[in-house]
Amino acid sequence: MEDSEFEDVLDDWFIESLKTYKDLHVYQLEHPTKVIEWTSEKTVCVAGYTSSKNEILELRLPLKLLADKNKGLCAERDFKVTYGGFTEGAVCCLTHVPGTRCLVTNDGLSSDLQLWELGGDDSDVIRRTGLVQGRSLSDGGSKIAAQLSPSPQVLHGGLISDVLLTELSSGLTVYKLETQSSDRLSSLQFESEAVFLAGCTNGSVYVADTRTSAAPQLLPPPESSHESVQWWADVCAGPHLSCSRLIRLSSVGVAVVSDLRNAGTSVSRAQLDVNAQRSNPDIRVCWSPTLHDYVSVSGFGGVVEIYNVSSWSTDSQVVAESLFQHRGHAVSSNVDVSVVVTAHTWHPERPRTLMSAASDGSVHVWDWVEPHQSA
Amino acid sequence: MPEIKVTPLGAGQDVGRSCILVSIGGKNIMLDCGMHMGYNDDRRFPDFSYITQNGRLTDFLDCVIISHFHLDHCGALPYMSEMVGYDGPIYMTHPTKAICPILLEDFRKITVDKKGETNFFTSQMIKDCMKKVVPLNLHQTVQVDDELELKAYYAGHVLGAAMVLIKVGSESVVYTGDYNMTPDRHLGAAWIDKCRPDILISESTYATTIRDSKRCRERDFLKKVHESIERGGKVLIPVFALGRAQELCILLETFWERMNLKAPIYFSTGLTEKANHYYKLFITWTNQKIRKTFVQRNMFEFKHIKAFDRSYADNPGPMVVFATPGMLHAGQSLQIFKKWAGNEKNMVIMPGYCVQGTIGHKILNGQRKLEMEGRSTLDVKLQVEYMSFSAHADAKGIMQLIRMAEPRNMLLVHGEALKMEFLKGKIEQEFNIDCYMPANGETITVSTNPSVPVDISLNLLKREMALGGPLPDPKKPRTMHGTLIMKENSMKLVSSEQALKELGLNEHQLRFTCRVQLQDPHSDLDTLHRIYTHLKSLLKGYTIQHVPDGTVMVESIVIKVSSSAEDPNNKVLLLSWSYQDEDLGSFLSSLLKKGLPSGLC
Repeated sequence: MEDSEFEDVLDDWFIESLKTYKDLHVYQLEHPTKVIEWTSEKTVCVAGYTSSKNEILELRLPLKLLADKNKGLCAERDFKVTYGGFTEGAVCCLTHVPGTRCLVTNDGLSSDLQLWELGGDDSDVIRRTGLVQGRSLSDGGSKIAAQLSPSPQVLHGGLISDVLLTELSSGLTVYKLETQSSDRLSSLQFESEAVFLAGCTNGSVYVADTRTSAAPQLLPPPESSHESVQWWADVCAGPHLSCSRLIRLSSVGVAVVSDLRNAGTSVSRAQLDVNAQRSNPDIRVCWSPTLHDYVSVSGFGGVVEIYNVSSWSTDSQVVAESLFQHRGHAVSSNVDVSVVVTAHTWHPERPRTLMSAASDGSVHVWDWVEPHQSA
Repeated sequence: MPEIKVTPLGAGQDVGRSCILVSIGGKNIMLDCGMHMGYNDDRRFPDFSYITQNGRLTDFLDCVIISHFHLDHCGALPYMSEMVGYDGPIYMTHPTKAICPILLEDFRKITVDKKGETNFFTSQMIKDCMKKVVPLNLHQTVQVDDELELKAYYAGHVLGAAMVLIKVGSESVVYTGDYNMTPDRHLGAAWIDKCRPDILISESTYATTIRDSKRCRERDFLKKVHESIERGGKVLIPVFALGRAQELCILLETFWERMNLKAPIYFSTGLTEKANHYYKLFITWTNQKIRKTFVQRNMFEFKHIKAFDRSYADNPGPMVVFATPGMLHAGQSLQIFKKWAGNEKNMVIMPGYCVQGTIGHKILNGQRKLEMEGRSTLDVKLQVEYMSFSAHADAKGIMQLIRMAEPRNMLLVHGEALKMEFLKGKIEQEFNIDCYMPANGETITVSTNPSVPVDISLNLLKREMALGGPLPDPKKPRTMHGTLIMKENSMKLVSSEQALKELGLNEHQLRFTCRVQLQDPHSDLDTLHRIYTHLKSLLKGYTIQHVPDGTVMVESIVIKVSSSAEDPNNKVLLLSWSYQDEDLGSFLSSLLKKGLPSGLC
């Protein structure tokens, strides 16, 4: 693309954005990140994933974005690096342990975890404090999940058969998932204090309770016309387990919503309007923490899309159109290689604020406007 | 060991009031002379008593360098030169020299006329101070004296902002001032040679930030203006004639064109004349796009932007007005503000910093009732927006500059108190250099390894060539022999013959002799021959001669044989060599002490 042509496309998008976004902030990191993890409602962690040395940064969101009163008087719109640290390897997975200043990372190669401490008041350095050994000898990295608990502990594993709950202070295994299956994990998360879901790449999801050693409940993979598809999952916790909804998304863009009460049956499904040719191993599907029925999807090229699942039916053939599309990463990248969104997340409290990162190192924070609300 | 000393008087770990002292090669330099905008008392100026308790600064400083016209970098200049006392040269670029006195005068007016402070510098002092200024051109080396030289580089940031390379002999320091590594609508990006200074002194105000893109800032500006226009409001943008006004005009013009907007945009007339004047003068300091535009048309010939007349302020309907001054302390911008302040549909957008005591400063602090002259109060109902367009290097920019200049040491000033350990570690790891962050009044001393230049005589080099051996390899040291002559302030390496000649000295010969006893049942002549054969087979590549007078010569080493009177088999070898062949001589003596091999004929 010619420089001037590129500038024009970008200008057009920015003019359009006056109506489609309430707030829009565009940043450029030195190195791209695959993780965006909230450490508080004002701070996030990002980290590099190159094969050699990388940095973990904790960034404070700009005051202008977070201000509700006197927003106009607040000129501060930059990210502030509050803490930073150096890692020897890639960071492919990063989880903040709630209630602590502790981070747990995985390099995407082994099942071992690295532990980090975000420094105190007198230092801005993130220091490595320990190591948790994983159970798996197979390579491919681990997924990590953490939950607020009296003694900090993390759930982790690469295959469904090596999922462990480890107490951080002692390094002791306090729970082990009992299963013979050796499917690879694509997602791992707590649904409530003790109940967690482990999603496998083949689409099956295990629901287990860390308080019992009973066999986990198995949700079979959704029906699929493709054999070689991969699946990612996200669960949206309701007040009770029965209200919790699960969404599974495949590499060809089929999304299936099911509720955990009727584990086998899907509530609704849809073929998403995504470019499935452009899929990569970093597909992400996330329920909005505040807006009922809203999910966000990234990993299919340079966009992040928002869908409203309430309009979906049980008929899988229907192509669902997105409610909103964040094209910012694709539009503002002037590199020849097409840019891919590597991570995105919803703000835990602000309903329409999301943060996304792409393979060119760009990070966007955006507060979008519901299409029918715009003029 | 030679060293460079750096002491921040104002900037270290404290935003505002930039002032740094550097001692390099026996020269003392003051970098910037700024004021702190947050204080009204003594703390607003740097503590010059650090330099001298009483008396003038002229005796202690070789020169003062001002990086750009912002008051936190030049606001204390008239106080320093006229009230404390400094008569030496003050260096700054042409645009800074033109704009700095205007800003100082504005600042003086606000402080003395509005706030009624006494004991402050006067208009005359500003003028007298500016007489001491020596202008700098970009990339031009300026000789302050025989030893101290300066060179300015483009820093972006604001019109005329410069980074300065300071050099004494082979020692050097670069001071960046405020700089910006990404070009914008009217300025280019900072650039510097790979000059490998001993110390790079950089600002670090934004060292721990990741900057929001310029486009998002512009987007917010357009969004605010547009919202206000849509609801029928009037928008006032108080600007400094040479700040970002041009940039914002270009932006609005483009936006109006694209959106087909009809609301009028005005700018106050004083603004255009002044700005055009300066832009004509300093067009080389802007970016390429502006330079091109300027060739085609006047900077202020816009399609949608027209000159303002004071009567327009009362016109009904939406409009946008750019007016001076930028801090709402006097003049047209204040007049318009008073007229529009009571209507909540209207908006004022403050695109820059405001000094304490100005209306601009008050409304930015959220004040909604203003006391005006004549005891009247003004209710501020209009919307107040603060937008910062200042262009500073962020964490990535600092790393880029280090990569560009390749300094041997890094020194960060102008930053926050403690918490920069991570950045320090990052710089030290990535570039393998030391990084310092001194506090105010704290001196950092950096040892330098200046190279000592020595002239080598051509003869010596030619001789070295003639001796053969491998051609010189820049990666490997090579030993050369010669005589070092230190004369006055120069040094040269010459051949010893030339040194003798030049210094009128006689050459003395120094010889070593040594006796070696040997058991060899042959005649003296045969023994000598056996020695000859032995050495000939061992010492390949040496000149070995059997001279008929009964000696063997290896290079300059002479070997003679005699036998003792008591025992003819007990031979005594006499070796003698000159000082220059000491290595070979002692080698031969120890070799011959081991005796001769029996198999020799």
